Amino acid sequence: MLEMRIHGRGGQGVVTLAELLGKAALKAGQEVQTLPFFGVERRGAAVKAAVRFDTKPIKVHSQSYHPHILVLMNQNLLPIGLGDGIAQEGIIISNGTHPLAIDQKQWLVDATGIALDSDLVIGGEPFINVPMLGALARILEIPFPLVEETIREQWTEKKALPNVRAAQKSYESVKVVQGGAIHD
Amino acid sequence: MKKILDTGNAACALAVKAAHVDMIAAYPITPQTSIAEKLASYIGSGEMNAKYLPVESEHSALSAISAASTVGARVFTATSSQGLLYMHEIIHYAAGGRLPLVMANVNRAVCAPWCLYVDHQDSISQRDTGWIQFYAASNQEIYDTVFLAYKVAEASNVPVMVNFDGFLLSHSMMPFQLVEQEVIDKFLPPYEPAWQLHPKWGGTFANVTPSHEYVPIRTRQAEDIMKTGDLIKKFSREYQELTGHWHGDLFDVYRQDGAEVFLLSMGSMAAEMEIAVDMLREEGIPAAGLRLRVFRPFPGAELSQILPQGAKLLVFDRNCAFGTGGGALLSEAKNALFDRRDNLKVAGQIMGLGGEDLPAAYLAQKAREMMEVIK
Repeated sequence: MLEMRIHGRGGQGVVTLAELLGKAALKAGQEVQTLPFFGVERRGAAVKAAVRFDTKPIKVHSQSYHPHILVLMNQNLLPIGLGDGIAQEGIIISNGTHPLAIDQKQWLVDATGIALDSDLVIGGEPFINVPMLGALARILEIPFPLVEETIREQWTEKKALPNVRAAQKSYESVKVVQGGAIHD
Repeated sequence: MKKILDTGNAACALAVKAAHVDMIAAYPITPQTSIAEKLASYIGSGEMNAKYLPVESEHSALSAISAASTVGARVFTATSSQGLLYMHEIIHYAAGGRLPLVMANVNRAVCAPWCLYVDHQDSISQRDTGWIQFYAASNQEIYDTVFLAYKVAEASNVPVMVNFDGFLLSHSMMPFQLVEQEVIDKFLPPYEPAWQLHPKWGGTFANVTPSHEYVPIRTRQAEDIMKTGDLIKKFSREYQELTGHWHGDLFDVYRQDGAEVFLLSMGSMAAEMEIAVDMLREEGIPAAGLRLRVFRPFPGAELSQILPQGAKLLVFDRNCAFGTGGGALLSEAKNALFDRRDNLKVAGQIMGLGGEDLPAAYLAQKAREMMEVIK
């Protein structure tokens, strides 16, 4: 079983991100489970969701303490993410333009930049969950057409289009960071 | 039919829609709210042909669907925690009135102190109200159990509560298979009540009774509830033949082969318990998982049949039977086994209250500790 834990803030669409990623993975033939944790249920507060992937039905219902993949919607969530635990060989994926100062293997995607470029702005705020979806699908090796299909099932054509475009940009632009240097 | 990924609450709402329910009344409470919301939106969009009555409280929600049931409607409500407790008076009323209601209860801790997360104190507190109680352990099981609940309720005139764990199932997305509408319709044809309040009938409902009338009514109610265990087994098989879906009948036993130590629990904890059983087996402990699906009527004879000579029964309660020193499941198991068996060892543990997290390693550790106690 592969475990992922996503850290974000209330209002960023963490639960929707987990849902969309789960749906794309299901299309790719995997068993999935999403387990949101709402905490204090308040906009701006730190929220998290676990997503589990497996080849057989998932029996685990407890929280995720040692995810193989830790996702940070904002880089300033790093202390909270690490505080909640990560697997020894776990990798971190963050939204940002600069690598995190950590020893762990990490991936980087400029989800905020992609959201702004793709007109995914709601109430003046860039909406980054779909860009993060694209990046995570690439890392999980989920074929992009399944991501596109998932987005098109979620929203009507008009709303789906910028989301598909944003997901594709991040699918293509997410980069692995090794030894402090960014690689394509 | 296709497999979809959705929450336990969505699985429940989709099943209620497919069950052709006529009337729904519900009051929002975390973590049940999205069931009421989804059903309201199905009705609003015309996807579901039913009446939705918005009410100001859970007491009214259950009163309203009880009234609708007396005129022959197939009805539904959903609640959690304090909402269920607020219904308590009408919960008795519906059972005594022999109304075939179905209610989903999304299990959540009760006050005080305030807590949003799962345990079974809410539904366990209703154990002596005369309702059948199911506990589901997956979103698929929630979906399938709603149909079974109507089938059993309408065949026995006993109301049914379908319980599942708050957040761990209600808000957790898992894949589940929908069943074709024509298969559902075959399993669960339209409800035809044996009686209904109607001006032409001229009868009354729940009238004042002296003890010589009250006693036989109560006696028959108690006997009929005991008989629903066999109905549940029969209809579970029937549903399996139609759909291929099987979650066990009254119990679901995991790794029964050569087992001597049985880990008894309910709900999502019982799913994770299977991993704990695997861990114990690897250590050479002949463990089995015993998941109780039906808490009322309590399947005491079946429990006795499952346990071999000299077996150890370890009971994991996600509730507290205050004043007994243990949980309700422990009391029930001991009560059921006392007259039937004298060659068993039983130990119990209360855990997982207020959403306390229960990873498999922790469950296995608690099992080892209990085995030490009854060694």
